Amino acid sequence: MNTLQLDPRTKLFLILLCVLCAMFSPSLLFQFVLVALIGLLAVVSGKWKYALRGVAAYALICLFTTWCMGVMTGTWRTMFVAFLGLLHKVYACGMLAGIVISTTKVGEFLSAMARLHFPKKLTIPIAVMLRYLPTIREDWHFIKDAMRLRDVSPSLLGFLKAPAMTVNCIYVPLLTAASKAADELSIASVTRGIENPKPRTCLVEIRMRKTDWLAIVFFTAFLALELIWKVVG
Amino acid sequence: MNQQLTVKKGLAAKDLVSVGIFSALFLVFALVGGIFFAPNPVLTFYMPVGSALLCGPVYLLMLAKIQKRFVVSILGVILCIIWFVTGMHWAMALGYLVMGVVADLVAGIGKYKNKKINSLSYILISLGGTASYLVFFANPDGWAKTMLGNGTEQSYIDTMRSTGTVWIMVIMLVGTILAAAISALVGCKMLKKQFEKAGITK
Repeated sequence: MNTLQLDPRTKLFLILLCVLCAMFSPSLLFQFVLVALIGLLAVVSGKWKYALRGVAAYALICLFTTWCMGVMTGTWRTMFVAFLGLLHKVYACGMLAGIVISTTKVGEFLSAMARLHFPKKLTIPIAVMLRYLPTIREDWHFIKDAMRLRDVSPSLLGFLKAPAMTVNCIYVPLLTAASKAADELSIASVTRGIENPKPRTCLVEIRMRKTDWLAIVFFTAFLALELIWKVVG
Repeated sequence: MNQQLTVKKGLAAKDLVSVGIFSALFLVFALVGGIFFAPNPVLTFYMPVGSALLCGPVYLLMLAKIQKRFVVSILGVILCIIWFVTGMHWAMALGYLVMGVVADLVAGIGKYKNKKINSLSYILISLGGTASYLVFFANPDGWAKTMLGNGTEQSYIDTMRSTGTVWIMVIMLVGTILAAAISALVGCKMLKKQFEKAGITK
């Protein structure tokens, strides 16, 4: 299947637009349309499962929010509304970030950043960080299993029973793994010439295509619509 | 095999990769610590306390591993970008940026080797998270406006205002410093007991 390949620069710009859209969103409906728009982007990027799950979950959250606003009163309402407010604010950006991270290769990202003349001292840590976040989650599952094997409960109750033990069991493997990964990754990247002072080359051609401009136009138009709606309404 | 790479002055690729990995851990622990507090308007002031409580060992191990200038500044810049992109108040992002540079300078006094000074610099970077609340106390109206513009609910802000007194600010600042100090203490012990023995740090 022919899937959409966006330029990393476009993706970054889309994230910025998405933050602005979430900021200025005048109503719940607009938020939902924004999420649907991101879902559409996911579909054309070949991630229709991700899109379906994301939009369906958001629809449920929206329903729950309207129910909360209508039925609940008092302190509970304040708490839930505040919590949901934060969720609504972050959801769209998080979903878009998920698509961006899973579709961008590290090499492409670094090349695009080099084109934008971003300092390497900043782009390398960011690229490594984004790649390492999912690994932490994976490690955490293994560590949890290992803790159970040793009769250390990885829950809050276990923490209260034996705080020092639990803290050690969580931090030490995570930090050791991180430290080892840092050594191995840096050796691998030095071997592949990350310290080469010459400008980077990249197998994937990095340039702005028609689809890039189209995506930017779509999201900018949506932002403009929101702003107009806010001023008029 | 690591020693040969660290001889070079300035930040080598190895250091940059390490900063990236430790930033990821720092971010995860800060989020886990803060997530219970942030969405609740009464508890939101204690969010920096929660974040400060968990990150100490990560920070100290990072400094123990890479004893060079600009490492903490880069961490500050990365956190600043992440908080801004996720739609937090701008002062929080700025706070991490500024305190990152300050913490870097402070840690530099001990050449990044003195554990006590490193702990002090961790306390300083933890205070970066309190910046958005300090802005709130300095100018509640302007703060409410920014947050409303960012899409936060009116009732959240109202509740925050009714709980936000000078006392809360004192508790938040002292609490953050204490939590960071405890976290750093645990981190120091852990470094000594686990990582130095295992040969991960020198």
